[in-house]
Amino acid sequence: MSEDGILDLFDDPEKPGASTGEGVEVSDEEVEERAEDPSSPEAPGASPGEPLEPKVWSVSQVNRAVRGLLEESVEPLWVGGEVGSWTRSRAGHCYFSLKDERAQLRAVMFSREARRLPTDPDEGTQIRVFGTLTLYEARGEYQLVARTVEAEGADGLWRKAFEELRARLETEGLLAAERKKPIPRYPRCVGVVTSPTGAALRDVISVLARRAPWSRILLAGSRVQGEGASTEIAAALRRLDASGRADVIIVGRGGGSLEDLWAFNEEPLARAIAACRTPVVSAVGHEVDVTISDLVADLRAPTPSAAAESVVPDGVALLRQLRNLPERLGRGLRRAGSRRREAVAERLLRLGRAMERVLTPLRQSVSLGADRLERRMLALAAARRSRLEGLGGRLEALSPLSTLARGYAVARRPDGRVMRSVDDLGPGTRFHLRVADGTVEAESLGPMEDGT
Amino acid sequence: MSEDETKELTLETRLARLEEILARMESEEIELEEALKLFEEGVTHVREAERVLSETELKVEELLDDGSTRPVDADERDP
Repeated sequence: MSEDGILDLFDDPEKPGASTGEGVEVSDEEVEERAEDPSSPEAPGASPGEPLEPKVWSVSQVNRAVRGLLEESVEPLWVGGEVGSWTRSRAGHCYFSLKDERAQLRAVMFSREARRLPTDPDEGTQIRVFGTLTLYEARGEYQLVARTVEAEGADGLWRKAFEELRARLETEGLLAAERKKPIPRYPRCVGVVTSPTGAALRDVISVLARRAPWSRILLAGSRVQGEGASTEIAAALRRLDASGRADVIIVGRGGGSLEDLWAFNEEPLARAIAACRTPVVSAVGHEVDVTISDLVADLRAPTPSAAAESVVPDGVALLRQLRNLPERLGRGLRRAGSRRREAVAERLLRLGRAMERVLTPLRQSVSLGADRLERRMLALAAARRSRLEGLGGRLEALSPLSTLARGYAVARRPDGRVMRSVDDLGPGTRFHLRVADGTVEAESLGPMEDGT
Repeated sequence: MSEDETKELTLETRLARLEEILARMESEEIELEEALKLFEEGVTHVREAERVLSETELKVEELLDDGSTRPVDADERDP
């Protein structure tokens, strides 16, 4: 670590005391700095040939020397134990203790390393820590400076962080099935959030080029692993969503270690996916474990290729189907046409039958009526005829002409009145005498004696 | 629907409409007049959809920070 070894203690006798201010509160940053970059230890002189005065070391000198000894002589090592206490400072440094049944060891993990921890281990958790031993000179306490902390096997902390975030999102209802948006079946534009140089993009392009070359890919590039990747992916996703150009968005990356995939298990991306208006398909290249992104997304695909397959239809099959459609439409039309013809024929037939039903009795009754009428009229005519004949007879019988013809005559006054009594015919009365073939003027000579 | 409006439709809308039309055409109670109209509309959709689907060159673009897009060339995508 430091090039200044323990021997320097004796090589530079004239330098004044330690540079560390004792009793001064130090910030986390200072601690880190000092832990990693110790300045040269300094020591007072030891004059040879003056055996009487004992050599007196300052506290700083001692601590500096011991720190050098520790750092020089102990290689970085794994230490296993139970977490006694764990606190994370505002600056992000983690201070904790490791213990077993008999002993305790103080440890620190500085923010640069602690940032990479998926979560803090609980007290009482069995962990193993990889780090170096050093001495915190200000306190004279030796400690383990941790570079890696693992719990319950290599994945322990990851799994814990995963479960914590999952539980939180679940409580907020962000994983609910009813929040899932439907994936469009024929997207025009497929948004992709991934690394511009990664295998995931290549896979999506190749699937879409094969299955749906009419579609478009809109890429929002982002780093997909490493420090801050989750925030970066989230920003790219938001940008793509806000553009409103993508009908569906694939967010993902190719396979990798759990740590490589970790961005997809972190909160920034989870929240960005949940807030996305465009349907999101999560595609992290790992078959076994599910990621938080998978849980929040509207659809989960095991790989970017599978995601691409699931968002576009197979163009060849679709075209084939489409080419059959005019025929199907035509069949439908023909069916409707023949149904119409049948319907017309059927209606005509029904109309005919209905007309028959109305007409037949009508015809019958009409002809019946006509017959009756005819008969009646004939009867009427006959009756009239016979009546006329009767009347004629009677008229003839009543007519005076026939009487006259028989030799009778009728005497009438000039005004036409018939003279029926001798009283009407006094002597000298002039009158008309109607005989069968004419009328003559006549004068009465008066009544005859014994005239009958 | 006018010809212009018909042209603007997305593939998604068009194919969904085609499915509707087919279901209607293949139902028993459709009248000849409606069938004729749907047939014409359906054929237009088929033609337009086919035109869209016959595009053979997948377009890849990158969304830039300012919201504009930049085409990503084929040689750029290949490893």
